[in-house]
Amino acid sequence: MASSYNAKEEDGHHSGASSGAGAAKNRKPDNTAFKQQRLPAWQPILTAGSVLPAFFVIGLIFIPIGIGLYVTSNNIREFEIDYTGESSNSPCYSCAKNVTWNSTEPCFCTVNFTLERPFESNVFMYYGLSNFYQNHRRYVKSRDDRQLNGDPSSLRNPSKECEPYRTSGDLPIAPCGAIANSLFNDSLVLYYIDSNNSQSEVPLVKKGIAWWTDKHVKFKNPGGNSNLTAAFQDLGHSTAKPVNWRKAVYELDPSDPENNGFINEDFIVWMRTAALPTFRKLYRIIQKKPGATPTLPSGNYVLHITYNYPVLSFDGRKRMILSTISWMGGKNPFLGIAYITVGSICFFLGVVLLIIHHKYDNRNTSADIPS
Amino acid sequence: MTDYFIPRSAELSLCFSEPLFLQDVNDRWSLQHPQLYCPGQKNQYFNKKAFASCVMHSCYSSLILFFIPWAAMRDTVRDDGKDIANYQSFALLTQTCLLIVVFTQLCLDTYYWSAVNHFFVWGSIAAYFAITFTMYSNGMFYIFTSTFPFVGTARNSLNQPNVWLTIFLSSLLCILPVVAFRFILIQLRPTINDKVRYKMRKEVLPAPAPRRLLRRRSTRSGYAFSHSQGYGELITSQNFLMKRPLKRASLFPQTDSPIFQNQPQHYLDHQQIKKLTDSMNGGLSLLLKRRVAILVT
Repeated sequence: MASSYNAKEEDGHHSGASSGAGAAKNRKPDNTAFKQQRLPAWQPILTAGSVLPAFFVIGLIFIPIGIGLYVTSNNIREFEIDYTGESSNSPCYSCAKNVTWNSTEPCFCTVNFTLERPFESNVFMYYGLSNFYQNHRRYVKSRDDRQLNGDPSSLRNPSKECEPYRTSGDLPIAPCGAIANSLFNDSLVLYYIDSNNSQSEVPLVKKGIAWWTDKHVKFKNPGGNSNLTAAFQDLGHSTAKPVNWRKAVYELDPSDPENNGFINEDFIVWMRTAALPTFRKLYRIIQKKPGATPTLPSGNYVLHITYNYPVLSFDGRKRMILSTISWMGGKNPFLGIAYITVGSICFFLGVVLLIIHHKYDNRNTSADIPS
Repeated sequence: MTDYFIPRSAELSLCFSEPLFLQDVNDRWSLQHPQLYCPGQKNQYFNKKAFASCVMHSCYSSLILFFIPWAAMRDTVRDDGKDIANYQSFALLTQTCLLIVVFTQLCLDTYYWSAVNHFFVWGSIAAYFAITFTMYSNGMFYIFTSTFPFVGTARNSLNQPNVWLTIFLSSLLCILPVVAFRFILIQLRPTINDKVRYKMRKEVLPAPAPRRLLRRRSTRSGYAFSHSQGYGELITSQNFLMKRPLKRASLFPQTDSPIFQNQPQHYLDHQQIKKLTDSMNGGLSLLLKRRVAILVT
């Protein structure tokens, strides 16, 4: 190795070489901190003084957070009832058997249930579906966002992604695609049965269920919100309704022009595809009553269902969920339990590392670097 | 979908810039301890065992990065009752968890935090969030409707406390085993690298203290200094010489490492020595004169 040392490159002979061959460029990098990699830097190493306190602190922070999350989740009231009707003794059995996509007549069934404890503050009514893969890639792509944003050219000529739900006969479908075509169309109405056995309807609010950005940015009616029939049915460029729908898109809520057409909130909520095969979507809001009256007092309730949506063909399930919420959202004890577990493991690991450090650190300080 | 290139571009900018400025042991210490080059020659950091442990770590991280968001988002909603378990929010949550884990892992692997490293690490995280919010903004949706369908997702999910708690939990679950494992390895089986860095860290601190004393022009001779306690390290190390980079090779050849013995020795004449000593601090020149006198006579 010593023989390969080039004498010409020695520093001592530097002046001689450069004056002799003036044209030869000095290839040595500049002696700056940046080029010689001597920049001032913080060079941390994992020492016991930093790692062990970190473990203990993380353990001590996580456990109270976990307890807080778990207690909050436990205080949320939730009630769920399955109304698919797959077994013969369930109230919606006959509807489940008879309803298909081509049915013209609606089917009704009622489900009775009891709330053990009253629900305070705003109560949210959700419909839940199981075994419904809204996250299937081909399904998720089957939509035309331009058309849903009110673009007139896309209204007449929808995107190729919507195939095979792009045209019906010769007319373009509005809204096109598989997501829109499979819109959930059951109706749920809730009645409270008081002590006199009289049914009083629980008021359900149908607005304010979709994201603000969806309602005001993403979805727009073509040509404004007024006179939707003309916008969708003009001579020369009329559109067809989706194959599985019973009503056209401009008939979703004719009484309210702010909730009709593409900006219908039930439609918007459905179009926001779910991530998992078992999901729930917001259906209605039961607003809290003034004063100390509970929003949903404990007692007997009856749910009137207009059963339009067939799910038994793909082994799906339908359910209705009533839930209060908190700062962490719906009832989900997982985060609380996870934080408590991770905090305890962290603390325990800190103790173990402390023991290891105590036993083996003496060896380290006197360790010499072998040559 | 089409926007998975954001995290990739942030990571790539970080991955390409980081190695340019990374060093665990600087050049002086590398020359003093040539054993540091042995692990590289023996392929200790790049072999099948290292690859297998890397694969296992990746599998563990992948499982954490999917199942923690999955379990946290199952059947839950926003704090105003609206949807959060939708496809786009879930994708954003998983993506953000992944990015935070990658950045934290990179921070753990960065041993040399110069200004450049700080800029690239924090800049990449900021760039990720900036690009995410830009891509999910109203403006981009209006201009390129089909390409940016995630409008509103960042605003509506990243303002939820349980989303941030999920991100925090998954990143911690991915990082803690790594930190614990590395700490245990440093304690039980320290590598040559760990020992040198530990030594480097310890020796940086005492060096400035003796210099202050020397500047006061003590009446003691340099010879006496070199024999008193505490200055052995200073005299025998090349600390004070290397602070001012000289255009010449070292005056005092190292005898404790084989490489230096192969370099030719340079002996200076009296004029060169005088010039050298005049350029140094008063206190140090005394020491040097004594030492050089011993050498050249």
